[in-house]
Amino acid sequence: MNKRPLRVLLAKLGMDTHTVGVTIIGHALREAGMEVIFTGLKQTPEMVCAAAVQEDVDVVGISTLSAGHTRSLPRLARLLREAGAEDKLLVAGGVIPEEDRAVLEEAGVDRIFTMGSDTRDIVAYLDQWWAERQAEEAA
Amino acid sequence: MGQDAGDVARRLLTGEIAAGARAIRWLDDRDPRGPALLAAVYPHTGRAQIVGITGPPGAGKSTLTDMLVAEWRSRGMRVAVLAVDPSSPFTGGAILGDRVRMARHALDPGVFIRSLGTRGQAGGLSRSTHDAALVFDAMGYDIVVVETVGVGQDEIDVVNLAHTTIIVAVPGLGDEIQAVKAGIMEAGDIFVVNKADRDGYDATRRQMEMMLHLRAQSRPAQPETPVLRSVAARGEGGAEIVEAIAAHRTRLEGAGDFARRNGLRARAQVINLVKDALTARALELGGDAIFDAVDARRIDPHGAAEHLLRQLDERIIAA
Ligand code: B12
Repeated sequence: MNKRPLRVLLAKLGMDTHTVGVTIIGHALREAGMEVIFTGLKQTPEMVCAAAVQEDVDVVGISTLSAGHTRSLPRLARLLREAGAEDKLLVAGGVIPEEDRAVLEEAGVDRIFTMGSDTRDIVAYLDQWWAERQAEEAA
Repeated sequence: MGQDAGDVARRLLTGEIAAGARAIRWLDDRDPRGPALLAAVYPHTGRAQIVGITGPPGAGKSTLTDMLVAEWRSRGMRVAVLAVDPSSPFTGGAILGDRVRMARHALDPGVFIRSLGTRGQAGGLSRSTHDAALVFDAMGYDIVVVETVGVGQDEIDVVNLAHTTIIVAVPGLGDEIQAVKAGIMEAGDIFVVNKADRDGYDATRRQMEMMLHLRAQSRPAQPETPVLRSVAARGEGGAEIVEAIAAHRTRLEGAGDFARRNGLRARAQVINLVKDALTARALELGGDAIFDAVDARRIDPHGAAEHLLRQLDERIIAA
């Protein structure tokens, strides 16, 4: 196993206790050879940012099904920037209404996967991002 | 962030978390910058007490670690945790979930938690765990906790790494005691029966004490090994365990064994590194041809090894 595995932090913010999606994503990424670090539920953006730095992950993934993400995700994106961790990919999934998309993308969320997304597409997206990132670093 | 080994080393020596995190990533990924970084920080190591925590799955290792971290923090000590979980042998992927039990320390600047996958290494640790512990040592953490994979059988590696090894068991699972006995019973410095409010506590404790009694007979000079109780989920028993860990350090230092354990660990690592490097070089010289010859029974395995070593010698002389 000489290739560097992609490290992904998966977290849920606030009082959102919907765990099915994040569990499925965790297993799909593990099966794709990635290292998945779970923070658990009831995280604040501050906690997620601290964990992302300590774990030196490449990707921060937030699963959000109980609203509140138009405030918490922009805050997380800002904290990551302030921590010098803006090179990490920030992705989100769950129940995210179409009208929130622009706000989140504007704030620094790199990609959104809503309800019904195929895990194979998510894996393919992350694999491709990682391949490009490694090619950039090698250059 | 600066991506140069000297720069990252300098910053982690001032305690900068992002720099320490990046250093560990390089070591875990076997990035070529790793060795240069370690060379720069190694003179600053040797102070931290490395505490191994091992035991069967379900013994509550993460919850116990969480409680001990809180206890050390209340005494003003800075703590780093290396939490190791298994990587899939098929995909190399892993789900590392030990942080979940330690979430209350997430915003404490005196606590650094890092999750590691075993990445193909047997024995309960990753290949990078030793080096990651050195990084934390150099960053000035007083305690480095190494929580092993919960396989319960031959997690011998942590014993070679840690100054103090804690073996955790739970009541009511006789088989788990067997598993512990088979593996690291020989080497534990402190024994903890966690979930001690459960039925079967007395029996489990007695079993442990009996095994320790047998062990003591073969090593009469050793001081008595503590067997402690905890209910980590309720925060019970932390102070006693932390005190036993401190007492163990004091005892090691008094006997000159603290530095000696560091030395033994370093020596084992040197030998392993040389072994790996020489093996890689010899195999590179031999190519597939030597294995084809063994397959065809033109040469036996001992002869093949001799042949490779001779080639290696010749190359060294030629250089
Ligand atoms: C099951 C469920 C529950 C279960 C959850 C059980 C559990 N342990 O998870 C229970 C019954 C407990 C529950 C409770 C509640 N629920 Co509910 N629940 C659902 C339901 C029916 C399905 C969710 C689910 O599991 N989907 C299956 C998974 C696989 O899908 P997913 O999570 O979306 O994940 C996929 C993608 O989104 C994406 N993805 C998800 N996360 C991530 C993360 C990353 C990094 C990436 C890349 C991708 C990704 O990939 C996945 C695969 O495609 C939805 C309705 C719906 N159709 O979504 C409502 C729903 C989410 N619930 C809702 C509500 C309101 C509640 C309650 C507040 C109800 C109440 N009034 O008590 C409570 C509150 C719970 C809380 N505190 O958070 C609302 C939320 C509305 C909103 N956001 O504005 C929904 C949308 C129902 C509705 N239409 O009103 N719920």
